Parts: sequence; C-alpha cells; structure tokens
Amino acid sequence: MSQQESIKLGAQDLTLWGKIKLTIARRTEGRGVALLSIILVIAALMEPLVFSAYQVTLGRIALIGLVALGLTVVILMGQLDLSVASTLAASGVILALIPDLTLGIIAALSFGLLVGVINAFGVAIIGINSFIWTLGMLFFLRGMALVLSDEAPVKLTNSDAGIAFGQPLIGPITPRILLFILVFIVIQLFVSRVKAGREFYAVGGNPQAAKDAGIPVKLRIFTGFMISGFVSALAGVINTLERTAADPIAGSTVLLASFAAAIIGGNYLKGGRGSIVGTLIGAAALGVMQVGLTISGVQVPVQQIFIGLVLLLAVTTDPNNLRAVLSSIRSARSSRVKVQESSSEPTKSTAS
Amino acid sequence: MSKNEPITQINAMAQAPEEEPKKQSGRGIEWFAENGIFVFTAVLIVAAAVFVNGFASLQNITDVFHRAAPIGIVAVGMTFVVISGNYLDLSVVAQVATAAVIMIAVSNEYGYIPAILAAMVAAVLYAIVNGVAVGYFKANAVIVTLSTTYIGLGLLRFFSGGSIFFGPPDGALAQFGAGKLGPIPYSAVVLVLMTIILAFILNRTNFGFTVRSFGVNERATRLGGTNTGLVIIGAFLVTSFSAMVAGFVLAAFSNTAVSAMSTGYDFQALAAIIVGGTSVFGGKGSVLRTLLGVIFVSVLSNVLVLLNISFGYQQMALGVLIALAVTVDALARRAGKK
Repeated sequence: MSQQESIKLGAQDLTLWGKIKLTIARRTEGRGVALLSIILVIAALMEPLVFSAYQVTLGRIALIGLVALGLTVVILMGQLDLSVASTLAASGVILALIPDLTLGIIAALSFGLLVGVINAFGVAIIGINSFIWTLGMLFFLRGMALVLSDEAPVKLTNSDAGIAFGQPLIGPITPRILLFILVFIVIQLFVSRVKAGREFYAVGGNPQAAKDAGIPVKLRIFTGFMISGFVSALAGVINTLERTAADPIAGSTVLLASFAAAIIGGNYLKGGRGSIVGTLIGAAALGVMQVGLTISGVQVPVQQIFIGLVLLLAVTTDPNNLRAVLSSIRSARSSRVKVQESSSEPTKSTAS
Repeated sequence: MSKNEPITQINAMAQAPEEEPKKQSGRGIEWFAENGIFVFTAVLIVAAAVFVNGFASLQNITDVFHRAAPIGIVAVGMTFVVISGNYLDLSVVAQVATAAVIMIAVSNEYGYIPAILAAMVAAVLYAIVNGVAVGYFKANAVIVTLSTTYIGLGLLRFFSGGSIFFGPPDGALAQFGAGKLGPIPYSAVVLVLMTIILAFILNRTNFGFTVRSFGVNERATRLGGTNTGLVIIGAFLVTSFSAMVAGFVLAAFSNTAVSAMSTGYDFQALAAIIVGGTSVFGGKGSVLRTLLGVIFVSVLSNVLVLLNISFGYQQMALGVLIALAVTVDALARRAGKK
C-alpha cells in the first residue's frame, strides 16, 4: 500500500511544466512537428498558393500518406515491408482486369490481405528477416503485375465509375482524401485504444519479453503485415480508379515516399516507438514541401535533392542516434584522458 | 587409427544416443545451405548447355559475360557492406550512374585522368556520407542509403540536365568496351580481377577480418578496441569504389551514359549476394559466393530470355529464388541451433 501511495505521490508532485516536459519526452513526433512547422512557415512566406490550392495539397498528402500508414504498423513491430509498392501495382492491375467493379475491388483488397499473410508467414513462421523476405515479394509481385498486364497499362472497363470517383464529394474532399482520413482514424484508434493494437508496441520493443508476457507475437505479426498489405492494395485501387487505368510499374516512388513519411514522423525503425499521428505529420511535411516546390517551379531533380536531405536529416537526428554519437565522443575523450594519465604515471614513478 | 575409431563412435553413442540422427539431418541442410549454390550453378549451366538452344554458342556466352560484369562488380563490392551487417547500399544506383556520366562527360572535355579523379572524388564523398551516418550516427543503412540515392540522382540529373552523353566512337574507352580476351570481354576480366582483389582484402587483411567480426558481433568488436565507425566507412568505401568501376565498365560497354542507366542495380546486386549464400544478418559469406550468385542469376535470366519467357516471369523467378535461398539459410540456422 505504502509503495503504491508513494508512486502516486511521485506522479502528483509533477508541476505543470514537468508534465509538459514528460509528455514531450514521451512523444516521438517532435522532429516531424519541427520540420512541418518550418515547411509551413516557409510555404506561407514564399508560396501562399500551397494553402489556397489546398485541394491539391491534401490530395498529395493522401497519396504519400496512405501507404505510409500501413507501413507504420509494420515498423512499430520492428519489421519492414518493402513489398508495399509492388502490392499497390499488382492489386491495381487485378482491379482493372476484372470487368465487374465491385468484384474487382473485393478481389484486389483480398489480394492485399493474401500478400500480408504470405509476408507474415515468411517472417513469423519460417523466421526470415522481414527486409529480405519482402524484397523477394517485391520482385515476385512486380513480375506478376507485368505478367498479368502483358507489360502495358490496363484500361479500367468501367471508366465512368473511375471518373466519378475522382470528383470531390464534400467541398474539396475527394474520395481519396476521405478514405485516407478514414484509414488514419481506424488505424490510430486500433493502435492506441485496442489491446491488440497496443501489443504492436510491445512486440516491437522486445519480442521475447512480449512472448513471455503472453502476447501472441506471431499472430500480431500476421495482423500487422495484413494491415500493411490491405492498405497498399487500397491505395492501388484508389490510384487505378482515379486514373481509370492500372499501371503495372506504378509505385516505384511510393515506396521511397512512404518510408520517408514514416521516418520523418519519428517512427523508430527498430520498433516499439512511434505513432500513426507522426506518420501523418511526416506525410503532411513531405506533401506540402513537394507541392510548394512544384508550384514555385523547382525542377524535379532539385525536389529529389530536398527530399533526400530531409530524409538524411531525419534519420541522423533520431534522439537515440544522437545519444550514441554523444556517448561515443565522450568515451573517446575519456579514453584519451586515460591514455594521458597512464602515460604520465610512469614518468612520475621514474622521477620518484 | 582404425582400431580407435569404433571406440570413439561408441563413446559418442553412449553420450547422446538419441541426438545422433537429428544431428545428421541438421548437417544435411547445413551442407545444402553452405554448398548448394555450387551444385545449382553447375547443374544449371550443364542443363542449359544441353537443353537450351543457342546457349552454348560463343556469341551468347560473350553476351552473358557482358551483362553479368557491371552488376557483378557492384555485387562483389556490396558484399562488404552486407557482411558487416548493414543490409545493403541502395545508393549504388546513383553511384554507378554518376561514375558513368562523369567518365564520359568529363573525358570528352578534359581527358581520362581528370575523369577518373573526379569519379573517385564522387565515390569517396558517397562513402563518407553513408559511412558517417551509419557508422557514427548509428542510423539505419537502408534509410541512409535511400536518402543518398535521392540526393545523388537529383544532383546528377540537375547537372546533366537528364541528357545522354556519347563518347567518341574510336576513343580508348569504346575500344576497351568492345575488347575481348578470347571469348571473354574485358569487362568480365575486370569482374574476375575485382573478385580476386576483394576476396584477398576480405580474407587476408586486418580490415577484412574486422569487417567480418563486426558482422558477427558489433558490440564485441567495439569493446575489443576497434574504431567501428572507421570500419563501416571502409566497407562503404569498398562498395563505392566497386560501383565506380562498374560505372566505368558500363560506360565503356555502351559508350553512352545517362542518369537512369543503372536502375534496379541495388536490389539485383543484393539478390545475387543472397542467392550466393551470404547471410544478410552479417558475418557469414564471401566474395567468391557472390560471384557464383551473379553467375547463377545471369545464366538463369539468359536462359529465360532464350526460352522467350517475358520479363515479368523473370522478375517472379528472381523473387522465388530469393525466398528459397533465405528459407534454406533460415532452416540451416535452426538446424544448427539444435
């Protein structure tokens, strides 16, 4: 009892400032927020068109962010899914090949789930590093998309539905943006409010400890990869509907952009820390930057350089990495001091 | 000697009578994981020579060598980064293209020596940025090299304007690209030389030993007094120089250079490394295995082309191949633990 009380007292002792500090220290989105604010300020000063043409900006954010949301769930568990872009392409082709639209959407989405199951099977059951297993999947699905489509874009049979899909529903909100917001809310609630979702963090933080605590680690890995596969397939369906055609080589830039969004959003690649909100912030930062640069007439190569620099900055300024650098500098300094001490000692002894 | 053997066998039986058959099967799969690539490569080549029309012709073999050389040079170099336990260097895509464009664009203006020097500066820059971020900042190698790919390709496209550069048709570079030693083009000779040099560095030098021990246990290597940051930079430097040489070979072969010429080299090289049996967990593997992996993948894709099988199926086959290679590796690992 007394112990419990003291713990409670300790928590109450925190001042408001202390609480704020604790919250900030616990959150992982700090760098994402900083980057987004910088980009928003620069955009407001240089290119206010980014905000007045918010329909374009929102569309871009949804394009970058949707795949990244699914990817984040996998990253939270300390795994990677390289097959997202190929899943997007293959499911898009499947949708376009099936004449009936409803049937096509169902087939494409279940295909995404199937890819997730196969990915998780390799990682959880056979026990292969997810990076390599999904790399194999990347090749396989890319090849499959090319084979199914006969290496050419496939036109959607029901192109009217596709055109209707691209139209704004409410104000500037197109179905793409609406679906993005919906997926964001569902995954955010799942990861933060549902027990199974909370367990992703435990699996990523320490798989052995999670297993010992009775968490079905393998089942969670299946859930995570299936979410990632499903969301990628959904992105493929949306892309195909909006463009009324499926491109078998679509999504080569999607992989890079979605990884960038997740990393900038502060998701820790070794798992256990990160948030869906962070990924949203990362996608927003990237989206606003891309639209801003495009509107100001910056060439595509220069845009690439910007994205690369931001990504490099994001991955090197991870608080854990910075701590590692500081500690290595400190240990180098202390070892140097030791060397100096040890070299000075013998001279003393000889003198005495 | 022969008298002693039964006794030791009996002793072993007495100690662990039940474990003996399990160990045997474990050894089988371990042997398979270790040496399967040798068998498969030999079987594939023999089968292709016997059953596939046009495979055994001189022209086709030269063609296989030509295609295998640049990707092979990248792969043998990248083996260092993989063995050090850092997955891969995605930025080889940008590095190969940069070296090729610099080689042709600069040599057209100023001659070959400045071109080589400029390409070397670029390679060292790549290695330092990648190596410092991964080695000192402990950042994930995949993301770091992904961002340097973006930056590198962006810079290359910006400065080259995305245009194609042509070398003079009778220049030394073009002659080297077309030159042959018997049926073997010079580019394949370069690949073999690179393999020998890098195998020597990995197996016989202090640096190579540190790279391998780093892949086995990073912490132990660091506590053993090694400057691990420098070792990582060194591993990336080997990869960067190999990518540079591959860029030269590629530029010589086609006598043109464009920023998009090396698309897909990153994962193709990694696929060859994995198929060769180098473990992506680091520590285990060799340059020679990578060479075998490159030969296997190149011969396979050549056979598929000769059989008129489309590019899509080739990609699917590559995916299945990677999955099979890592599955065998994982099963052998599990058998080894038991």
